[in-house]
Amino acid sequence: MSNFSRMGDGFALDLTLDEAHILINLVEQLLELLGDSNFEHHYTNDDPFAQLMGLGAEIATPEDPVLLRLLPNAYADPEASADFRRYTEPTLRRHKSEGLRSIRTELALIVDEIGGDESNTGGRVEELDGDVWLVALNDLRLALSVRLNIEADSFEKFELLPDEDPQKAVYAVYFWLGWLQENLLTAMIS
Amino acid sequence: MSTLTDTELNLDQLLDRPWVTVVWDDPVNLMTYVTYVFIKLFDFTPERAHELMMQVHNEGRAAVTTGSREEMERDVQRLHEHGLWATLQRDDKI
Repeated sequence: MSNFSRMGDGFALDLTLDEAHILINLVEQLLELLGDSNFEHHYTNDDPFAQLMGLGAEIATPEDPVLLRLLPNAYADPEASADFRRYTEPTLRRHKSEGLRSIRTELALIVDEIGGDESNTGGRVEELDGDVWLVALNDLRLALSVRLNIEADSFEKFELLPDEDPQKAVYAVYFWLGWLQENLLTAMIS
Repeated sequence: MSTLTDTELNLDQLLDRPWVTVVWDDPVNLMTYVTYVFIKLFDFTPERAHELMMQVHNEGRAAVTTGSREEMERDVQRLHEHGLWATLQRDDKI
Protein backbone atom coordinates (compact mmCIF):
# COMPACT_ATOMS: atom_id res chain seq x y z
CA MET A 1 0.00 0.00 0.00
CA SER A 2 1.55 3.27 -1.11
CA ASN A 3 1.99 5.96 1.47
CA PHE A 4 4.05 9.11 2.04
CA SER A 5 5.17 10.07 5.52
CA ARG A 6 7.21 12.94 6.90
CA MET A 7 10.75 12.00 7.91
CA GLY A 8 12.99 14.73 9.29
CA ASP A 9 13.34 17.45 6.64
CA GLY A 10 12.08 15.19 3.87
CA PHE A 11 9.60 12.43 3.18
CA ALA A 12 9.55 8.67 2.94
CA LEU A 13 7.48 6.68 0.47
CA ASP A 14 6.38 3.07 0.83
CA LEU A 15 5.45 1.32 -2.39
CA THR A 16 4.65 -2.20 -3.44
CA LEU A 17 6.87 -3.54 -6.17
CA ASP A 18 3.99 -3.36 -8.66
CA GLU A 19 3.35 0.29 -7.82
CA ALA A 20 7.04 1.12 -8.15
CA HIS A 21 7.12 -0.57 -11.56
CA ILE A 22 4.08 1.33 -12.81
CA LEU A 23 5.51 4.64 -11.61
CA ILE A 24 9.00 4.19 -13.02
CA ASN A 25 7.58 3.11 -16.39
CA LEU A 26 5.37 6.19 -16.59
CA VAL A 27 8.25 8.45 -15.55
CA GLU A 28 10.51 7.01 -18.24
CA GLN A 29 7.82 7.34 -20.91
CA LEU A 30 7.19 10.96 -20.02
CA LEU A 31 10.94 11.68 -20.04
CA GLU A 32 11.07 10.26 -23.56
CA LEU A 33 8.15 12.38 -24.64
CA LEU A 34 10.01 15.43 -23.29
CA GLY A 35 12.96 14.47 -25.49
CA ASP A 36 15.12 13.15 -22.67
CA SER A 37 15.79 9.50 -23.45
CA ASN A 38 19.41 8.93 -22.60
CA PHE A 39 18.92 6.21 -19.97
CA GLU A 40 18.31 2.51 -19.74
CA HIS A 41 14.59 1.76 -19.81
CA HIS A 42 12.73 -0.42 -17.37
CA TYR A 43 9.73 -0.75 -19.67
CA THR A 44 9.25 -2.53 -22.97
CA ASN A 45 7.40 -1.22 -26.00
CA ASP A 46 4.52 -3.66 -25.52
CA ASP A 47 3.83 -2.05 -22.13
CA PRO A 48 0.20 -0.82 -22.27
CA PHE A 49 1.23 2.59 -20.93
CA ALA A 50 3.99 2.92 -23.50
CA GLN A 51 1.37 2.31 -26.15
CA LEU A 52 -0.92 4.84 -24.51
CA MET A 53 1.82 7.46 -24.49
CA GLY A 54 2.33 6.75 -28.17
CA LEU A 55 5.99 5.84 -27.95
CA GLY A 56 7.50 3.72 -30.67
CA ALA A 57 4.77 4.81 -33.05
CA GLU A 58 5.81 8.36 -33.78
CA ILE A 59 8.38 10.95 -32.81
CA ALA A 60 6.98 13.42 -30.29
CA THR A 61 6.52 16.92 -31.62
CA PRO A 62 5.41 20.14 -29.93
CA GLU A 63 2.03 19.50 -31.60
CA ASP A 64 1.55 16.51 -29.34
CA PRO A 65 -1.34 17.48 -27.02
CA VAL A 66 0.48 16.08 -23.97
CA LEU A 67 3.44 18.36 -24.63
CA LEU A 68 1.12 21.27 -25.28
CA ARG A 69 -0.48 20.69 -21.88
CA LEU A 70 2.88 20.40 -20.10
CA LEU A 71 4.42 23.28 -22.05
CA PRO A 72 1.38 25.49 -22.68
CA ASN A 73 1.03 28.74 -24.57
CA ALA A 74 1.52 31.83 -22.42
CA TYR A 75 -0.45 34.25 -24.62
CA ALA A 76 -3.69 34.06 -26.57
CA ASP A 77 -1.80 35.77 -29.41
CA PRO A 78 0.14 33.11 -31.37
CA GLU A 79 3.02 35.43 -32.22
CA ALA A 80 3.58 36.57 -28.63
CA SER A 81 3.23 32.95 -27.55
CA ALA A 82 5.85 31.77 -30.02
CA ASP A 83 8.26 34.47 -28.86
CA PHE A 84 7.75 33.52 -25.22
CA ARG A 85 8.14 29.84 -26.03
CA ARG A 86 11.38 30.45 -27.91
CA TYR A 87 13.19 31.70 -24.85
CA THR A 88 11.41 29.85 -22.02
CA GLU A 89 10.52 26.39 -23.30
CA PRO A 90 14.01 24.86 -23.07
CA THR A 91 14.19 25.88 -19.41
CA LEU A 92 10.71 24.54 -18.71
CA ARG A 93 11.50 21.24 -20.42
CA ARG A 94 14.75 20.93 -18.49
CA HIS A 95 12.98 21.72 -15.21
CA LYS A 96 10.41 18.98 -15.81
CA SER A 97 13.05 16.50 -16.98
CA GLU A 98 15.20 17.09 -13.93
CA GLY A 99 12.30 16.47 -11.55
CA LEU A 100 11.32 13.27 -13.35
CA ARG A 101 14.96 12.14 -13.49
CA SER A 102 15.26 12.66 -9.78
CA ILE A 103 12.21 10.57 -8.86
CA ARG A 104 13.28 7.94 -11.41
CA THR A 105 16.55 7.50 -9.50
CA GLU A 106 14.64 7.10 -6.24
CA LEU A 107 12.15 4.64 -7.73
CA ALA A 108 15.01 2.63 -9.20
CA LEU A 109 16.20 1.98 -5.65
CA ILE A 110 13.04 -0.05 -5.11
CA VAL A 111 12.73 -1.55 -8.59
CA ASP A 112 16.37 -2.53 -9.11
CA GLU A 113 17.56 -3.37 -5.63
CA ILE A 114 14.69 -5.37 -4.27
CA GLY A 115 12.95 -6.21 -7.54
CA GLY A 116 15.11 -9.27 -8.12
CA ASP A 117 14.32 -10.74 -4.75
CA GLU A 118 11.01 -12.55 -4.98
CA SER A 119 10.51 -12.65 -1.24
CA ASN A 120 10.21 -8.85 -1.26
CA THR A 121 6.91 -7.36 -2.29
CA GLY A 122 7.69 -3.71 -1.69
CA GLY A 123 10.08 -1.18 -0.32
CA ARG A 124 10.69 2.26 1.05
CA VAL A 125 12.60 5.24 -0.31
CA GLU A 126 13.62 8.02 2.05
CA GLU A 127 14.86 11.62 2.10
CA LEU A 128 12.53 12.58 -0.72
CA ASP A 129 12.03 16.21 -1.75
CA GLY A 130 8.29 16.79 -1.34
CA ASP A 131 8.06 19.61 -3.88
CA VAL A 132 9.89 17.65 -6.57
CA TRP A 133 7.59 14.65 -6.09
CA LEU A 134 4.49 16.80 -5.97
CA VAL A 135 5.25 18.42 -9.34
CA ALA A 136 6.41 15.17 -10.96
CA LEU A 137 3.25 13.32 -9.88
CA ASN A 138 1.22 16.24 -11.21
CA ASP A 139 3.03 16.12 -14.57
CA LEU A 140 2.33 12.37 -14.84
CA ARG A 141 -1.36 13.00 -14.12
CA LEU A 142 -1.52 15.83 -16.67
CA ALA A 143 0.06 13.60 -19.31
CA LEU A 144 -2.29 10.69 -18.65
CA SER A 145 -5.31 12.99 -18.47
CA VAL A 146 -4.74 14.18 -22.03
CA ARG A 147 -4.49 10.62 -23.35
CA LEU A 148 -7.55 9.53 -21.32
CA ASN A 149 -9.62 12.66 -22.12
CA ILE A 150 -10.21 13.26 -18.44
CA GLU A 151 -13.15 15.56 -17.68
CA ALA A 152 -14.84 16.73 -14.50
CA ASP A 153 -17.12 13.66 -14.33
CA SER A 154 -14.52 11.05 -15.30
CA PHE A 155 -14.40 9.44 -11.89
CA GLU A 156 -18.12 8.64 -12.01
CA LYS A 157 -17.67 7.20 -15.51
CA PHE A 158 -14.70 5.15 -14.31
CA GLU A 159 -16.74 3.66 -11.49
CA LEU A 160 -19.40 2.55 -13.98
CA LEU A 161 -16.87 0.82 -16.26
CA PRO A 162 -17.19 -2.97 -16.06
CA ASP A 163 -14.15 -4.69 -14.56
CA GLU A 164 -13.38 -6.50 -17.81
CA ASP A 165 -13.05 -3.20 -19.73
CA PRO A 166 -9.35 -2.95 -20.72
CA GLN A 167 -9.41 0.82 -20.10
CA LYS A 168 -10.38 0.32 -16.47
CA ALA A 169 -6.83 -0.46 -15.28
CA VAL A 170 -5.45 2.63 -17.00
CA TYR A 171 -8.06 4.90 -15.44
CA ALA A 172 -7.37 3.22 -12.11
CA VAL A 173 -3.70 4.21 -12.35
CA TYR A 174 -4.67 7.81 -13.16
CA PHE A 175 -6.93 8.05 -10.10
CA TRP A 176 -4.37 6.27 -7.93
CA LEU A 177 -1.80 8.94 -8.92
CA GLY A 178 -4.26 11.61 -7.77
CA TRP A 179 -4.70 9.83 -4.48
CA LEU A 180 -0.91 9.56 -4.10
CA GLN A 181 -0.44 13.26 -4.81
CA GLU A 182 -3.10 14.20 -2.26
CA ASN A 183 -1.48 11.82 0.22
CA LEU A 184 1.88 13.60 -0.20
CA LEU A 185 0.27 17.02 0.06
CA THR A 186 -1.40 16.02 3.33
CA ALA A 187 1.95 14.85 4.71
CA MET A 188 3.57 18.15 3.62
CA ILE A 189 0.92 20.44 5.07
CA SER A 190 0.37 18.66 8.39
CA MET B 1 -4.40 70.37 -37.46
CA SER B 2 -3.28 67.87 -34.96
CA THR B 3 -0.02 66.08 -35.55
CA LEU B 4 -0.77 63.35 -33.05
CA THR B 5 -1.80 60.83 -35.70
CA ASP B 6 1.70 60.94 -37.15
CA THR B 7 3.05 59.32 -34.05
CA GLU B 8 2.35 55.73 -33.15
CA LEU B 9 0.50 56.11 -29.93
CA ASN B 10 -0.34 53.08 -27.90
CA LEU B 11 -3.35 53.61 -25.66
CA ASP B 12 -2.24 50.89 -23.29
CA GLN B 13 1.10 52.58 -22.80
CA LEU B 14 -0.53 55.99 -22.35
CA LEU B 15 -2.85 54.60 -19.71
CA ASP B 16 -0.02 52.59 -18.21
CA ARG B 17 -2.25 49.56 -17.91
CA PRO B 18 -0.63 46.72 -16.03
CA TRP B 19 -0.53 43.08 -17.05
CA VAL B 20 -2.23 40.23 -15.25
CA THR B 21 -1.48 36.54 -14.85
CA VAL B 22 -4.61 34.45 -15.40
CA VAL B 23 -4.98 30.88 -14.15
CA TRP B 24 -7.53 28.72 -15.99
CA ASP B 25 -9.60 25.86 -14.65
CA ASP B 26 -8.81 22.31 -15.70
CA PRO B 27 -10.27 18.98 -14.56
CA VAL B 28 -6.92 17.53 -13.46
CA ASN B 29 -5.15 19.77 -10.96
CA LEU B 30 -6.33 19.02 -7.43
CA MET B 31 -7.93 21.90 -5.53
CA THR B 32 -5.56 21.39 -2.60
CA TYR B 33 -2.57 21.38 -4.97
CA VAL B 34 -3.62 24.63 -6.70
CA THR B 35 -4.01 26.31 -3.29
CA TYR B 36 -0.59 24.98 -2.23
CA VAL B 37 1.07 26.32 -5.41
CA PHE B 38 -0.48 29.79 -4.95
CA ILE B 39 0.88 29.98 -1.40
CA LYS B 40 4.29 28.67 -2.41
CA LEU B 41 4.80 30.91 -5.46
CA PHE B 42 3.10 34.13 -4.40
CA ASP B 43 3.28 33.99 -0.61
CA PHE B 44 -0.49 34.42 -0.33
CA THR B 45 -2.24 33.75 2.97
CA PRO B 46 -4.04 30.38 3.00
CA GLU B 47 -7.36 32.30 2.93
CA ARG B 48 -6.41 34.35 -0.15
CA ALA B 49 -4.99 31.30 -1.93
CA HIS B 50 -8.15 29.33 -1.22
CA GLU B 51 -10.35 32.20 -2.42
CA LEU B 52 -8.47 32.45 -5.74
CA MET B 53 -8.51 28.66 -6.20
CA MET B 54 -12.30 28.68 -5.72
CA GLN B 55 -12.62 31.51 -8.25
CA VAL B 56 -10.69 29.45 -10.80
CA HIS B 57 -12.87 26.43 -10.00
CA ASN B 58 -16.24 28.21 -10.11
CA GLU B 59 -15.68 30.90 -12.74
CA GLY B 60 -13.23 29.05 -14.96
CA ARG B 61 -10.40 31.53 -14.40
CA ALA B 62 -8.92 34.05 -12.00
CA ALA B 63 -6.37 36.86 -12.23
CA VAL B 64 -3.83 35.88 -9.61
CA THR B 65 -1.10 38.52 -9.96
CA THR B 66 -0.71 41.99 -11.49
CA GLY B 67 2.40 43.88 -12.56
CA SER B 68 4.76 44.59 -15.42
CA ARG B 69 4.85 42.35 -18.47
CA GLU B 70 8.24 40.96 -17.42
CA GLU B 71 6.99 40.13 -13.93
CA MET B 72 3.90 38.40 -15.30
CA GLU B 73 5.96 36.38 -17.76
CA ARG B 74 8.01 35.15 -14.83
CA ASP B 75 4.86 34.23 -12.89
CA VAL B 76 3.41 32.36 -15.88
CA GLN B 77 6.67 30.48 -16.30
CA ARG B 78 6.66 29.42 -12.64
CA LEU B 79 3.00 28.36 -12.84
CA HIS B 80 3.81 26.28 -15.94
CA GLU B 81 6.67 24.65 -14.04
CA HIS B 82 4.03 23.55 -11.53
CA GLY B 83 1.64 22.28 -14.19
CA LEU B 84 -1.00 25.00 -13.81
CA TRP B 85 -2.59 26.38 -16.96
CA ALA B 86 -1.69 30.09 -16.96
CA THR B 87 -1.55 32.95 -19.47
CA LEU B 88 -0.79 36.66 -19.28
CA GLN B 89 -2.69 39.56 -20.78
CA ARG B 90 -3.48 43.25 -20.41
CA ASP B 91 -5.51 44.04 -17.34
CA ASP B 92 -8.45 45.44 -19.34
CA LYS B 93 -9.26 42.18 -21.03
CA ILE B 94 -10.49 40.18 -18.08
